[in-house]
Amino acid sequence: MPQLDFSVFPSQLFWLAVSFFTMLFVMSKFIIPKTAEMIDLRKAKIDDDLEKADEIKQHVEETLEKYNKALQEANAKASLSLQKTKEELNETINRRQAELTSKLKSEIAAGEKKIATAKNKAMVKVEEASTELAVDLLNKLGFGRIKVEDAANALEALKKE
Amino acid sequence: MSNPLEQFEIKPIIPINVGGVDISFTNSSLFMVLAVVVSTLVLGLCLRKRTLIPNLAQSIPESLYEFVANLLKENVGIEGLKYFPFIFTVFLFVAFGNLLGLFPYSFTFTSHLTAVGSLSVIALLFNIGIGIKKKKIGWLRTFLPKGIPLALAPLIVPIEMISFLSKPFSLTVRLVANMTVGHIMLKIIAGFIVGLGVLGAVPLLFDGAIICFEIFISLLQAFIYTVLSCIYLGDALHEH
Repeated sequence: MPQLDFSVFPSQLFWLAVSFFTMLFVMSKFIIPKTAEMIDLRKAKIDDDLEKADEIKQHVEETLEKYNKALQEANAKASLSLQKTKEELNETINRRQAELTSKLKSEIAAGEKKIATAKNKAMVKVEEASTELAVDLLNKLGFGRIKVEDAANALEALKKE
Repeated sequence: MSNPLEQFEIKPIIPINVGGVDISFTNSSLFMVLAVVVSTLVLGLCLRKRTLIPNLAQSIPESLYEFVANLLKENVGIEGLKYFPFIFTVFLFVAFGNLLGLFPYSFTFTSHLTAVGSLSVIALLFNIGIGIKKKKIGWLRTFLPKGIPLALAPLIVPIEMISFLSKPFSLTVRLVANMTVGHIMLKIIAGFIVGLGVLGAVPLLFDGAIICFEIFISLLQAFIYTVLSCIYLGDALHEH
């Protein structure tokens, strides 16, 4: 079997070493750097693009955050002003109501006073009329002549008792 | 029928004799040189036009590069990338040696114990070199792993030495046996093609199928040789 012929060993070892190390030299000096160069460039480009995309994403996020913040601020401002207006409105309503109430109260009081006066006057007149009527009735029934003044005095005296 | 072992015979092309040592340029040497030239030409041509988005030709050396780089990363770790050119060359040298041998009338130097053995010895010396460079005197620990009582040293040291030296031997025998068997099979079946006349179409088809299979085996064996080299390299760099 030619494989077991070890007399060729020096020649095999020598030429294998020569060709292997030549190949190692060629590969490490030319082929590998040329191949690696493009792979590295591509990797760098991809990394760069990813970084850029990241930057853009961050920028967008920042803008969105700013927008949200502005929106929130505007909302807060609007609700504050709304509340203020509400409060002012409430105050005005309350004030007006109070004014109206007091005015009405005083008017009612005045009206009640007038009614009381009118009632008193009316009562006096009713008294006078009923006294006269009673005197007239007594006179006509023949109880002697009774003056109206006397009757009135007698009524007063009765009232006092 | 011709002798199926005839194809493995080493014949000198240019006889060279230096100091009584025969280092003739043989058919085996020719195919070693061809492996270098062809692999360089193929990869060089593929890399002629390089673009950021790889074209078809360019993706061949790039895939090989990524493939070997991943092999190193998985078996040795990131630090193994320092030895990338060595492993890359081993893979290509063996792969092209195997593939060139499949051409009719060519010679398969990877089917020779002396050739592959030389390569394995180079790889072994390389491993020893980087092992000593990294661990200094601690490299000798390879033969006496930590935690082993000193009393067991006379037993363990020879065992470890044998296992260490058997690594290149097993690498060599695996590749040589695979290549030799494949070629013998091809040759024997090819012998039937002529002998059977019209019926020779059957072994012809069979031989065609085996050729395809052998192409696969060539790459697979180159891959296995490289993976094992990576593992031995990892052993040289790391503790047991």
